[in-house]
Amino acid sequence: MERVSLQDRRERLTQLVPKVGPVAFARDRVLPVAPALQPLLPEAGLVRGSVIGCRGSTGVSLALAVVCEASAAGSWLACVGLATLGLRAASEVGIALERLVMVSAPVRGSRDTGEMDVGEADAGEMSWANMMSALIDGFDLIVLRGASAVRPGDVRRLQARLQARGAVLVVIGDPGPFICDITVTGLSSQWEGLGDGSGRLARRRLVLSATGRRSPRARQVEIWLPGAHGGIEPTTAVPTTAVPTTVATPAVFRQTG
Amino acid sequence: MARRSGDVGSPPRLVVVHCPDWSVVAAGAPASEPAAVLHANRVLARTPTAAAAGVRQGHRRREAQRICPSLQIIDHDPARDGREFEAAVRSVGQMVPRLETTEPGLLTFLARGPSRYFGGEHEMAMRVGQLVVEAVPALATETETGVTGRLGIGIGDGRFTAGIAARHAARTPGRQPTIVAAGPQPTRAFLGPLPVAFLRDVAGVSAELVDLLQRLGLRTLGSLAALPAPDVLARFGPSGAFAHRIAAGGDDRAPGTVAPSPDLLVSRSFEDPVHLLDPLVFTAKQLANELHAMLIADGRVCTRLAVIAETEHGERSEHLWYRPTGLNAAAITERVRWQLDGWIQQSGGPSGGSGGGSGGGSGGLSGGVVLLRLVPDEVRPDNGTQLGFWGGRSVADEWASRAVARVAGLVGEQRVFVPAWRGGRQPGDTYQWVSVDQADVGEPADRLLAAEVPWPGQLPAPSPATVMSEAVPAEVLDGNGRVVRVDGRGEMSGTPVTVSVHGRDVQTITAWAGPWPLDERWWDPQHHRRMARFQIVTANGAALLAVVENQHWWITAVYS
Repeated sequence: MERVSLQDRRERLTQLVPKVGPVAFARDRVLPVAPALQPLLPEAGLVRGSVIGCRGSTGVSLALAVVCEASAAGSWLACVGLATLGLRAASEVGIALERLVMVSAPVRGSRDTGEMDVGEADAGEMSWANMMSALIDGFDLIVLRGASAVRPGDVRRLQARLQARGAVLVVIGDPGPFICDITVTGLSSQWEGLGDGSGRLARRRLVLSATGRRSPRARQVEIWLPGAHGGIEPTTAVPTTAVPTTVATPAVFRQTG
Repeated sequence: MARRSGDVGSPPRLVVVHCPDWSVVAAGAPASEPAAVLHANRVLARTPTAAAAGVRQGHRRREAQRICPSLQIIDHDPARDGREFEAAVRSVGQMVPRLETTEPGLLTFLARGPSRYFGGEHEMAMRVGQLVVEAVPALATETETGVTGRLGIGIGDGRFTAGIAARHAARTPGRQPTIVAAGPQPTRAFLGPLPVAFLRDVAGVSAELVDLLQRLGLRTLGSLAALPAPDVLARFGPSGAFAHRIAAGGDDRAPGTVAPSPDLLVSRSFEDPVHLLDPLVFTAKQLANELHAMLIADGRVCTRLAVIAETEHGERSEHLWYRPTGLNAAAITERVRWQLDGWIQQSGGPSGGSGGGSGGGSGGLSGGVVLLRLVPDEVRPDNGTQLGFWGGRSVADEWASRAVARVAGLVGEQRVFVPAWRGGRQPGDTYQWVSVDQADVGEPADRLLAAEVPWPGQLPAPSPATVMSEAVPAEVLDGNGRVVRVDGRGEMSGTPVTVSVHGRDVQTITAWAGPWPLDERWWDPQHHRRMARFQIVTANGAALLAVVENQHWWITAVYS
């Protein structure tokens, strides 16, 4: 009798598991981001399914900085329209080159190359959207440059797909019809190490600002990008992560009257 | 009605026609000159002269060039190989039904019927050899002058035995075929003393298993075959059992291989005859996707496929394609392209010529193509691939590899790139993009392993994030508005004050350093480069890497 009821209880418990099991909140589905950039992002990471814009003249470095930690942690990275990417800089910032793939496909058709036939006039754009969905299916991180020419219809499909597959899209420059969840802009940049005919480029102080659909106030952070060895380093001037863990002092009641 | 296409243990008697270095023959490299076809930086095929100098298949480019400095390097082009091999296939196909092509350079067909017709296996093999060299004249002169390693014909029980026999025949001078007598005993006697490396080279058994067998002291196929089958299965798993079975002269077809029901086929007929290759291949891609979807819905994979095309005047091209690991949609499309490309070119006879306007005109065909049909001839259950728990291939790697294959199918393999280490002093030289048809996405160690040599003269980190694919002309002026010049000793004519890229957008220089001279490849007059490098920061905050070469300024990279 006891044994049967135990069996029953176990079965009921198993049925309950999916109901009371943990729910994956959006903030739990994040890819890691470099510690120096964490203050910029509300979830301190790249929320899967989100679109991140990188504006300003430092856009390429910014995009590399945003994805480097996730790439090093095992995610695959696809670059679209980035044929001029400096691979040495990418490896210095921490991107795993063994998980990097670049596709050189222009958005507006492939007719200029003369490879397509007249019968496939629309095939260029069709295949661009198909190519992007194939990348979203297989890659965690996609860095895209030249998004301004993308058709709004394609963008809606691609963003839905991003959400479903949990990939992160980083758009460099004008995002075009893409709606960015977070836009990171390089406000000011200053190189150090180069003099008037002497020295060499050593590091760059970069002030970044991030605005987002869900974060009303712009967040700012100051970093070295690239730092002395090409990586990302927090500047010591603004302590971003260094909140010292102080031992809580016991409350002392003041004796009064 | 599905049926077994043969009982396990009684492999069919097969003829294998093998051209080991087909790629160089297809490329038209004369046998008297050292040349090699490279794929992914490895030698795929080489001419007899290069082989005599010691160049082996699988050598790296540098290794091969060290052994044979005058080696001519030819790029790998599977489409060219397939197109040129079509002539041999058609020639043999006039005499022999149901030819199957595994890859360009490797033909297989059943021995029984043709050998009766020609009056014996030896006569048949000699006749087939004659047909092949008639179709490919490049092979004719060589086989007669005693050059070996170009063409071999082998007959034996099962694909594995016949394949090894063909390799053996290719190594012997003349055009004599190697015939392994029928029956299990002669087959075992033939295979017994051969090294286990043949399992990897001919049957596609994984290199790791072969390596393990060798380290365990099982160096010959005979010693592997002598082990009890249940023990081999227990120790090495299914792939070991497969190796054991074929080493003992057993059937090399995967268990469960059947001929599918006759209604499993995809076909497309065109109302308007199609004269161009590309639309046909495009249709073939759709058909291949359809067929692949039908098969994977049942968890099956096609290992042998008939591709049939017909023109409006009844001309017909029909081929069997075999691939032991299964034909996926991309592989099917590729094979249709090879077959149709070769057909369109060759059917016109000598006027077709090689290399002239592939995909352009309809060559020698009298009409356009009206029917394209793909018929699976042999299917087996798809076991898929097992992913590693730790290390090895992860799920993410597998997904990404699949995505890369799909994207390469959509936009072309020449537009999908992966980084490869190359070494050099300029920022764009250290790593380079190589297209995925030249490199393996899933095997990064091969392409990213940096040689442990320093590159003195390389600029230290940080490196520029944008490297121009082509240097942009620029103008750097001094305070007097004259172009800054750098002489041979690194002396500058003035202090740089302004820079303009492309002749516009003049910017004031706020900081600069240089010149850092670079003198590369001074021993090679063609590739000798002498330049001086500068780093420049302009008033708008941009940092540029500029070089002066022959008194012209160029921007080669931007620290964006």
